[in-house]
Formats: sequence, C-alpha cells, structure tokens
Amino acid sequence: MTNYFAILDLPETLILNQEQVAEAWHSKTQSSHPDATQSEGATENTAAVNQARAALSDPAHRLEHWLSLKAGQTSTDRTIDPGLMDLFTELHAILENADSVIQRNRKASTALAKALLSKEAIAAQLGLQAKMQNIQVMKNTITDQFAAFETEGGNGVFDNAGRNLGQLKFLRKWEQQSQDRLLSLLEC
Amino acid sequence: MNEEVIIGIDLGTTNSLVGVVDSGFPIILADDEGERLIPSVVSYQTDGSVLTGRRAMHFRMLEPARTITSIKRFLGRKFSQLSDEEVVDCEYSIEADSGDKISVRIDSDNSVTPIEVSSKILAHLKEVAEKALETKVSRAVVTVPAYFSNSQREATKAAAEAAGLTVERIVNEPTAAALAYGLDKLEDNQTVAVYDLGGGTFDLSILQMRDGLFEVISTAGDTRLGGDDLDRAIYSHLKTSIGFKKLSPEESATLLAAARNAKEALSSDQSHTIRLPFFRGSESIELELSRAEAEALMNPVIARTRPICRRAFAEAAGKGADAIDHFILVGGSTRIPFLRQKIEEWFNIEPNLSQHPDEAVALGAAIQAGILCGRVRDVVLVDVTPLSLGIETFGGLMNVIIPRNSTIPAKAGELFTNAVANQDSIAIRVMQGEREMARDNWLLGEVAIPFSPGAKGSARVGVQFSIDQNGILEVLARDTETGKDTVLEIRDAAVDVDDTKVENMVSESIDHAFDDMNERIWTEARMKSEELLPAVESALSLVGDRLEPDEIKKIQSTAAKVQQLLGGQSKDSDPLKEANQALDEATQTLAALLVEAAFEDTE
Repeated sequence: MTNYFAILDLPETLILNQEQVAEAWHSKTQSSHPDATQSEGATENTAAVNQARAALSDPAHRLEHWLSLKAGQTSTDRTIDPGLMDLFTELHAILENADSVIQRNRKASTALAKALLSKEAIAAQLGLQAKMQNIQVMKNTITDQFAAFETEGGNGVFDNAGRNLGQLKFLRKWEQQSQDRLLSLLEC
Repeated sequence: MNEEVIIGIDLGTTNSLVGVVDSGFPIILADDEGERLIPSVVSYQTDGSVLTGRRAMHFRMLEPARTITSIKRFLGRKFSQLSDEEVVDCEYSIEADSGDKISVRIDSDNSVTPIEVSSKILAHLKEVAEKALETKVSRAVVTVPAYFSNSQREATKAAAEAAGLTVERIVNEPTAAALAYGLDKLEDNQTVAVYDLGGGTFDLSILQMRDGLFEVISTAGDTRLGGDDLDRAIYSHLKTSIGFKKLSPEESATLLAAARNAKEALSSDQSHTIRLPFFRGSESIELELSRAEAEALMNPVIARTRPICRRAFAEAAGKGADAIDHFILVGGSTRIPFLRQKIEEWFNIEPNLSQHPDEAVALGAAIQAGILCGRVRDVVLVDVTPLSLGIETFGGLMNVIIPRNSTIPAKAGELFTNAVANQDSIAIRVMQGEREMARDNWLLGEVAIPFSPGAKGSARVGVQFSIDQNGILEVLARDTETGKDTVLEIRDAAVDVDDTKVENMVSESIDHAFDDMNERIWTEARMKSEELLPAVESALSLVGDRLEPDEIKKIQSTAAKVQQLLGGQSKDSDPLKEANQALDEATQTLAALLVEAAFEDTE
C-alpha cells in the first residue's frame, strides 16, 4: 500500500509539523516535476508527491494513514463525544443562518439589495469565525496527544488513537463547511 | 532535452502575442509590420478568404457579422450555458449546433466553431514566429485564464492542434505573469499576488517564490469579466445619451469602438470628445465624456473583482501566506488609473506596476517554453486546479474528489462496486465547480465504469481521477484483480439520449428562446425593479440622513421613473432596463454607506 511518509522521505511519525512536510515536498518537487525532468512517469510521481503532502499536512488524514500503516486499521469510530455534540448543535444553527444570507445575496441582483444584507453577512462571518476557533482548540487537544498515541500500541492496539481519529474527522468536516460558508460570505 | 524551439503564446480575448527565449531572455516576436500585439480577430470574407489579426480588424465596423472578435469567451462552453444577454449583445450571430455546441453563423451557408476561429488566430501567431525566427515551429506553450475549466482547456488545446501546434504545456495566465516578474529574482523568497484583468477574463493568483520554485497557493477568478464589460458599460451610457431607439449592427459596432477609444483615452486625459461623423445618414454625433463620468460607469464592473480577491486571500491565508509582498498588475485593463486607485484603497497595498500590462503573460509563456526545451534552467512552476472536481452522487449532490486549489498534477481514487448482480457498468457524471448541488456546476461529461459479471457487491473497480500539469482531467479504471489500467473516455453527457431527440430538443429550445426573448427580458427587468424599489426605501430610512438632500432627491426621482415604467401599459423592456440601470448607478453611494454602517455597527 501507499506510504506517504516514504514518498516524501519522512520518518513514520505522527509528530510532524507543517514546515517539515513543506520542506520535504519542496525538495522532492524540485527533482520530480515535469519542468525539471523529462523522465517517464514524472507526472505520476509528482501527483503522488502532492497527494502525500496534502495527506500528511492534515492531522486527521495523517493519523488515519499512520494507523493503517501501523495497525492495518482503517475503520473509524463514528460516535461523537458529548463535548463535540454541543459544538455541533451550535455550529449547525450558525451554518443554517449563513446559508440563508448567502442564498439571499445570490438572489439579489443589485448593489443596493446586496448592501442591505451586509449587516447580517458580517454577523454571520463573526459567528463562523468564533466557532472555527473552538474547532481549532479541540483539534489541538487531540493533536497534543499524538506523542502518546505513538507509544500506546506496543502490541498493535491503538484504541485511543482510533477513537480520536473519529473526532478529528468530524472536526475537519465542520471546519471545511465553515470555511466554505466564510468564503461565500466574503463574496457578499 | 530537445533543442527544437518551443514558442510561448498568450491567446488573449482581444489581443494575442507570441514569444520565445533567446540567449536566456524572453522576448516578444513582432510581425512584418513591427507590431507585437496581434488583434484576436478573424474576418471571413464573402469571397471565401479568411483574414486574421490587424487586417481582419479593419472589417470590424464594416462587416461585424463576418468579423469575429473576442471568440475566447465562447471557447469550450455550451450554448445552454450562455446568458440571454451574451447571445443578444454579441456583434455576430451565435447559435447552437445539434450537440448544444456553440457555432458562429457567418452567412446562410457558412458557420464556424469557436475552436476553428481560435485556430486561425493561433496559425497566424505561428506564422509570425516562423518568419521572425526563420525556422519551422511546431511546438508551443499556450496560456489560458487560471479559472478556465477542463472543457475550456481542452478546447484551447484542440485549437492549437488544428493550427499545427503540439501543446507542450498549458499555463495559467497570472502564473505566467509571475514567472515574467520573478525570473530575475530567483534568489528572493517572496509571496506575490497577480491581479490579471484582461479583455474578457479576470484572475487573481497568489504565489510563493522560493529557490527557483514558483508555487501557486490559491487562485480565484471570473471567466466572464474583463475590459469588454467596461466597454459595454460606457457603450450603454452612450447609447442612452444619443437617444436612438434601435441601432443597426454596424452602428452598434461603431459605437462600441467609440466606447473603447473613450475608455482608453480617459486613462490619460481628464475628458474625451466622442465624434462620429455621419453616424446615421447626415446625422453626426458629438458627445463629451469626463473621466469622472467614465469612472462612475466602470465602477460596478471593477468592484466585481474585489470579492474574488478577498476569496483568494482567505484561501491562501489558510495555507500560510499571510503577507503579500507584492501585488502585481497585468492585463490591459489595469492601465486604468481608477482601478489602480481602487486596489490601493481596498487592500491598502501599493500595486506593483513593474510588468508590461500586455506583454507579461506572453513573456511568461515564453519562459515556460524555455524551461521545457532546456533554454531556462533551475526553474519549476507548480500550479493548482482552480475548480473542485467531483462526481454526482445520489440525490444530485456533488461529491468532491479533488478540491479546488489542489496542487497539480493531482490524483485521487474512488472505489465503485456493482449495485445489482451482473450489472455490466455504471455511469458517473463528472463535474467541476463549488456548488453543493451537482446541477449548479460545470458538467464535464459522463464516464462508464465497466464491471465484470458477478454477485451484487462482488465487482470492484478502482477509479483514479487525475489532473495533469496542464489542468486537464484523465479518468482511469483499475481492475482490482488484474491491476490493469484503462483510460475511460469522458463523453458528452447528452449522448445517451437519442441523437434526433437531442436535435429536436435543441432546436425547440432555440426557437422558444427567441420567441420568448422579449418577454424574458421584460420579466428580468421587472424583477430587478421590484428588488430595487423596496431596497431604496429601506436604505433611505436606514442611512438617508448621511446623504446630501440633492442626492436624495435624485434617487427619489430616478426611483419614481422606474415606478412609472413598471406600472405603464407598454411592456417595452429597453426603457425599463435603462431606468433600472440609472437607479442602480444613482444608488451606488447609498449602497456603500450601508456597508460602511454595517461595519460601524459591529465595531
């Protein structure tokens, strides 16, 4: 199976920061890219390098990939922690409100009609930004445990890591949903 | 590396250029009259001959129906994707062929496709290069707007091939401009934004430059926003001012050219006189347009670039580019002083004017060509895909497979299984775009995934979607047992319907469209009025106290005019459209005040 760590010549560890991944991608790209070499498979190899960077830069994806390498485990725990459930309920209302503003803005065909919506749009943006900060904090509490996950599975059991992967995936999904709305609101 | 020369081509909406790297430096090649900027115009003469470039340009006002300008806006698009206005406003006649493809009607016997027209322009550029370099040329790098979809890129490639050019790489225009900017700064590490407003398209790309590697981190744009829209804004104003009810195609073309000249003149002058002797019969036209008036007309168009920039900034910030070191302007429209002033105002950054607005993209294309044939070394250009790629899933939702702003070449896999026993294939619809509902996005086509016979769920095919360094999509099916890859053809989604049925559908919809055109334009105008009138009332009650009494009066009288036309008997859309536009313009300040007030309230 594909090993993203190997593709970028990085150690198989969860504790990687963005700079390390970026650095590894940079040096790989400078030799593999079709601009730099006419060797066959340059496109395919560079696509793999790009895929590896995208995967390892994202904590949820990195954890999932690491788990599948270490434990052959790909199933994810889909239960939600109570703390996350509260966040979800709040976020849901905020996303719905943002959607309504975006919809009305898309319908409006004049600068004046759009301007009338700007107050609501700004409020929706601020609400989303606040929730994205909460999401970031929760993500950090999980990534702070990455070192502990690595020592956990001496006998190939990574229960704690598996549970947290589920939570991280939820957080990533919500982060993307919030980011999408935020970008659409910027266009209002 | 191959020593045969590769040329770099900027295939623009209004003008095109061709360049090459010579002794390590990119240069633009001139035609035999010494001109480097070549009009993207093709004129199909009644005697069957075809003129291109400057020679075709002369026929623009004489024979607007046979002289094709700005064809790039139709390249790689479907007829059904065009707005009514795009069809009505076009100086030549466009229609749909049986497969919903766009075709240009030259006369009753002849029509041409956007790919054919573009290939004539490309063949002209090839010829210019061959004369200047005194050698045969068969390979090229061609630029496209960053925001071009897969279909538009494919069409560009097809046009080049029809002109006898192998496309070695398709490069995004703002990225090419960044290369031109950065070639002599390879040691510097910096983050730049390239704002590219050309004749017909707008892009904003943000790049990081480090150790010879140019990496695009985000891009956003609009493939239907450019200098042509600025011309049209001025044209509408001129048309209203001269008070002629209907214009003939020739008159329309003359007035549009006058609008363009006025726009260009007002970048240096404070006022401009439009003189059109014998415009109609013995009637001549003389009109005065001030720079301030032109700016007010252009403002709504220029303002449309702002949210696009904000979007690209926000997406780049997510990847760690918080500081833009230089904000580079390219594209002919960035000559407008008002635009430069707006950018400074919006983003609080002094625009970098070091690049030649018309030539930077072509120079970048030449550099990329130089990289590929070994004349430029140690430079690598890494771009992103502008649009998310996905497939339609159950319920008409779009399932994103490769997100926008992913670094290319990119790949992603998806596993498909048979839903019933012995199902021989499954058809999936592939699309590009950012909307949640599949139907709101660009449909690229349909792919049939073959299954080997077996029980339900037993056939498994891994499908790999890849986007190459040109931004072009390929779909591969991998048989999980044999590991064998097959390239899947992306077919037009309409082919599974009976061909004659499609033909009927298309011709019906066109007839229908033209019957209904007036009604539809009236309805559109009416809806706009119905949106504006209550908005004016609310806005005045909210921030009316911040306006001068004179301005309020003007808004109210403009609104009264709209109200009167809306309630009137004649369902003539033109006067209502004009009144709407006047009200739209009269309320620009009011709109800005509302936004200002909204920001104050949250502080």
